[in-house]
Amino acid sequence: MNRFALAYREQQQLFMFDKTYLWGTLLKVGGLATLLARFIVQFFWNPTAAIIITLALLGLSAYMTWAYVRDSRKDWGLIPLCLIPSIIIGASLSDNSLHFEYLTSILLVQGALLIYKNIKSRKVIGGIALSVILYLTAGSAALLFAVCTLFAGLGKDIKTAGINLLTVAAYGVLAFFSAGVPTWTAAFTPAQYYDIDSTLPAFHWAGWIALPVVVLASRLAVKFRLKPWASTLFGLALLALSFIPATKFDKKMAENQPRLGYIFEYYTINEDWDGLVKACEKAPWLPRTANYLNMALAWKGELADKLLKYDQRGADGLVMTTKDRAVDVAQAHIMFAMGNVAAAQDVAFNTLISLQGYCPSMMKINAQVELMRGSYEVADKYLSLLEKAPHYRGWAKEQRKFLYDDAAIEADPLLGNGRRNLEAENHFIMYTNPMTELFPILDANPTDRRTLEYGLCYLLLAKDLNSVKHFILDYYSSPDSPELPRIAQEAMVFYSEYSRNMEGVEPFGLDWCYEHGVKQETVTRFEEYKKAAVAGATALRRFRGTYWYYLVHTQI
Amino acid sequence: MRRIIYHFFILAGLLSMISCARRPANAEPLSEDAPIFPDYKEVTIPVNIAPLNFSLLEKDKGILVAGDKVFRSRRGVFRFSPRKWRKMISKSGDNGSINLEIFVRRDGKWLSYKPFNIHISQDKIDPWFSYRLIPPGYQGWQDMGIYQRNLESYSEKAILTNDLTGGNCMNCHTYMNGDPSKMVFHARATFGGTMVVNEGEVEKLNTKTDSTISALVYPYWHPSGDYVAFSVNKTFQSFHNHDANRIEVYDEASDVVVYNVKTHQIAWSPLTKAEDRFETFPTFSPDGKWLYFCSAEAVTPMPDKYQEARYGLYRIAFNAEDMSFGDSLELVYDAPAEGFSVSFPRISPDGRLLCFTRHGYGNFSIWHKDSDLWIADLKDGSVRPMEGVNSDDVDSFHTWSSDGKWLVFSSRRDDGLYTKPYFTHVDADGNATKPFLLPQKDPKSYYKRLMRSYNLPAFTTGKVNVGKRKLIDVLRNSPGTDVQVKQ
Repeated sequence: MNRFALAYREQQQLFMFDKTYLWGTLLKVGGLATLLARFIVQFFWNPTAAIIITLALLGLSAYMTWAYVRDSRKDWGLIPLCLIPSIIIGASLSDNSLHFEYLTSILLVQGALLIYKNIKSRKVIGGIALSVILYLTAGSAALLFAVCTLFAGLGKDIKTAGINLLTVAAYGVLAFFSAGVPTWTAAFTPAQYYDIDSTLPAFHWAGWIALPVVVLASRLAVKFRLKPWASTLFGLALLALSFIPATKFDKKMAENQPRLGYIFEYYTINEDWDGLVKACEKAPWLPRTANYLNMALAWKGELADKLLKYDQRGADGLVMTTKDRAVDVAQAHIMFAMGNVAAAQDVAFNTLISLQGYCPSMMKINAQVELMRGSYEVADKYLSLLEKAPHYRGWAKEQRKFLYDDAAIEADPLLGNGRRNLEAENHFIMYTNPMTELFPILDANPTDRRTLEYGLCYLLLAKDLNSVKHFILDYYSSPDSPELPRIAQEAMVFYSEYSRNMEGVEPFGLDWCYEHGVKQETVTRFEEYKKAAVAGATALRRFRGTYWYYLVHTQI
Repeated sequence: MRRIIYHFFILAGLLSMISCARRPANAEPLSEDAPIFPDYKEVTIPVNIAPLNFSLLEKDKGILVAGDKVFRSRRGVFRFSPRKWRKMISKSGDNGSINLEIFVRRDGKWLSYKPFNIHISQDKIDPWFSYRLIPPGYQGWQDMGIYQRNLESYSEKAILTNDLTGGNCMNCHTYMNGDPSKMVFHARATFGGTMVVNEGEVEKLNTKTDSTISALVYPYWHPSGDYVAFSVNKTFQSFHNHDANRIEVYDEASDVVVYNVKTHQIAWSPLTKAEDRFETFPTFSPDGKWLYFCSAEAVTPMPDKYQEARYGLYRIAFNAEDMSFGDSLELVYDAPAEGFSVSFPRISPDGRLLCFTRHGYGNFSIWHKDSDLWIADLKDGSVRPMEGVNSDDVDSFHTWSSDGKWLVFSSRRDDGLYTKPYFTHVDADGNATKPFLLPQKDPKSYYKRLMRSYNLPAFTTGKVNVGKRKLIDVLRNSPGTDVQVKQ
């Protein structure tokens, strides 16, 4: 289990203490399992809590399995056997397309099995009642209940178990025909707990059938008087035999493991920029990793200063736009950091509604952008929903002070800056290149340091030196402009030298450079660089991290 | 036993004394209107509408005197039980009013807001209406469905939700004159196709042909039930950086065709499929002899010139006998000549009034803040805005009730983004009353937490009874019937 993957589940939903939400969830097939899962997952914002809670629930599941299969309190030997389902379910939960109700529904089944075991009289009625209640509350996992009672019977109670099976089957059929579930597979298999109409990886069947297999193994062990270790081996053998193809993480499941993405998102959501930089340092050349790394540097105010400290491989490292921008949390965060708040909202709104509810971080971006826009009624709507979620209540309440208070928004560093960015000349966002949209934003709000550095770094990484020169003229030439970053100075010194020999380029000298923020020290170092370039690779090593090195030695 | 009954009645009497509110005496009158949501002050409502519960938009506890009944606000909401509501309406008499006065207690004394009326029309409203609930977003549709609501109660049922059909998009649900047994809607992306529900039969159509630019889009039933007019559109959507309209939906090309329900054929006139024009939003006249639609001079390149597309209202004769068209177009309203554009023409069942949306440019008025409802009197040719109906924000897509006495339309007047359905009474001359928002048990809480827009509100004379399972099975499993072009 990956604690960050588990923690990310919290971003796939927004559990709210809201009557409509609670009843709406509860009244669906398997609603109680869903509600329990969502209630539990709301605490996963802390990765450590996520793993502790999940392990505790898996432990509880193992205990309940043991409590069901044991004949006496001393059947300790069955414990290893009873751990099997929990271990497999735990592995399955690494796949975030498999909803957490996969586990809570099995816990409900196990609870029902324990109740069923202790029913002494009128077992038929009890079995039918439990089957019905289970189908309504846990969904297709009710089938496990019926199969387990069948296996546990093994000769005795077979009729009652058969009735349970028929009851569950009848409810599955009813759920299908009443459109409570979309397909037959959703009515009777773990597909109900997987993303809508996605192919269920075979591995998840293993955890599903493990519970009845363990029940069967334990019964057979009793029947044939096997030693406990033998029954565990027997159970494992049964599982292996019935699920050889599923014992490996199949390709589909592997595709659902953007583990690095979960880690990056965790640090982003918590605005832990140092943590994010550290997490990205291992492979900064990968475009999406570079996107997160550069975003963290931008929030720290170090984008231009530290850009080339890392192995950058072109302008895609700032923002990698996908063709389908419908669901992409990373892009929403990056656009927001860039100061392109309209684009951030476009992506964040499309990403807001995840398959299991609202994504809290996207809801926050939407609320903030609505505040920037002055759309207070809509912002109020989002804040009201966030207030119903305990973890976000404080943040949402804190934002309330901005509602209907333009002066407070304009005075706030984040919201005020965003509002000024929105004043840019109107254009369609993400219509051409997200970077070209930064220029009108800078025209409207030249004081936005993050946008300024994103724009400059984009041109530098793209090795578009002529545009860098114009960018400096436009945005770094006023008395209020910040100091020209070192890498931009290096770029201009280089360009000045080579502009004399380049066709179609208006030559310019060092005087221009000095006038536009280039320091003598940079020119001196450039002379040293040129000597090192002649001397060879070893001499050049100390120039890694300079723009000259990036320009000459990095292929984009 | 007698003693128990005796004590029960005593207790019930005490409880009723505690809970019953009285009209506050010696209240100081305020000159302000009562701050309530929804704004039901001076609205006209049908006699059969569900109770119009509303909230007091301030923290003070309130007392409402409605007619001869007194109500106390609970958590800021004035709720009417269906029984009391019916009594209040029946006591108001024919075309009468309920007089309401709200009292609040502030600093130890009672204050009363300006009294207001809710006017009762004896014209009953169609008991059901259906709509799509969809996030007002920009491209995603992960959580949407077509729903129907009983207007005489608060009962809402899903006709189909996309969690059952692979999370696909579904749109353009349309009924024939409000007949719930004749419905058409589209599913896009996963399990895509056009669904035609006809007297319990469900059919899926594959409507893209080699001769048309897209699958069928905006529909309108012919009154015979034998045809459905559709537009075909090459539609795109872009998001503004900084514009009150936020989103621009525009066509790069569009035409109007008519689909024959029985033969699965489509046909068109060269005048509804002109190369140099954009034609869209078709509507049949109630007698079925005319096909109305919006048409603009084609504009290129898009989206650069999106603000230059201006649609006028045209009509062409249609012969249902042989599915043929007239040989000339008639200009009904030259909106571009006035610097405007029109969309969504809808004709009242008596054929006299044509309601449309007018806005500055383009055709997708739901994203245009300047969109207003206008009415054309087809008898004398006059065109005018619907006074008292429009707001400063979007007022757009609308449908007539089956008797033409009521109009439902989409409005963003409340928060500027999430569309809500408003209802207005329209008399024979096209005069409309102040519209009222769809009633809810607790409207303020409901609409505040609602994360979806009411889209394409449409009246139906009864409940849509097509089974969800049937729709799902056809959508998921049927290969669909290919639509052919009539030669």
